[in-house]
Amino acid sequence: MKADDRLSVIFAALADPTRRAILARLADGDATVTELAEPFSISLPAISRHLKVLERAGLISRSRSGQWRSSTLEADALKEATDWMERYRIFWDVNFDRLDAHLRRVQQDHADEGRRRPSEKGTQQ
Amino acid sequence: MTAEPMYELEISRVFDAPRELVYQAFVDPDQIAQWFGPVGWVVPRDTVEVDARPGGYQRFVMVNADDSSQRSPVDATFSEVIENELLVGEERVEGIPGFEGIATMTMRLEFHDEPGGKTRLELRQGPFTHQLEEGSREGWNSSFGKLDDLLASYV
Repeated sequence: MKADDRLSVIFAALADPTRRAILARLADGDATVTELAEPFSISLPAISRHLKVLERAGLISRSRSGQWRSSTLEADALKEATDWMERYRIFWDVNFDRLDAHLRRVQQDHADEGRRRPSEKGTQQ
Repeated sequence: MTAEPMYELEISRVFDAPRELVYQAFVDPDQIAQWFGPVGWVVPRDTVEVDARPGGYQRFVMVNADDSSQRSPVDATFSEVIENELLVGEERVEGIPGFEGIATMTMRLEFHDEPGGKTRLELRQGPFTHQLEEGSREGWNSSFGKLDDLLASYV
């Protein structure tokens, strides 16, 4: 799969709030389907379907140890997604530097105007 | 607990200006043309249109200062607007010109008072989602390509 196709699948997997909650839970450690289902009012088969989507996206891996199948968070795939967000963060950081400078100019202009026309201001009151 | 959503961008920044001024910088077309966009990119004033009401819009085009064929349009529709407090826009991020695909995401800007006449701006952008239809997938990818171009110009 091409890198950008893979990213599409990752973001599609991340689009669902239940799946994001599952990932958040797995960030604390591996868990079985039953453990993952606990906080949700949805069936085990539904959880299993979500896990399949996450697995296909490479966000988790699943292993069978004994009779329980446990899920593990795959940090690398998640990093790929957050790297994209980092680019947006950089975009905004730089953009906000410009906003910062702009706001300083605007306020300086206001202050200059106020100094130039003190008498006018006085008569308005 | 790592409940922090990892699919949504959150930025908090304090500006040394009153809330009304920071808000105006996002809705006054003259001001958007003056500051918006990364270094090396300009927003021509005649591309900027803003109607800051629920159902209104914010549209403009970022143009590369050295190569005006590199353009990155922004087209957001406001779903929530509270003057000097809140702007929520559904953003259409378009890909390269002539491309069908369009990705959408929500951008939320909250303006909060900070001591000393300052303003804390809370930005939330996301979710980084899209429909898995062919067209929108390509639009998604190409819009990231555009973002890459934008970033390459100053990173």
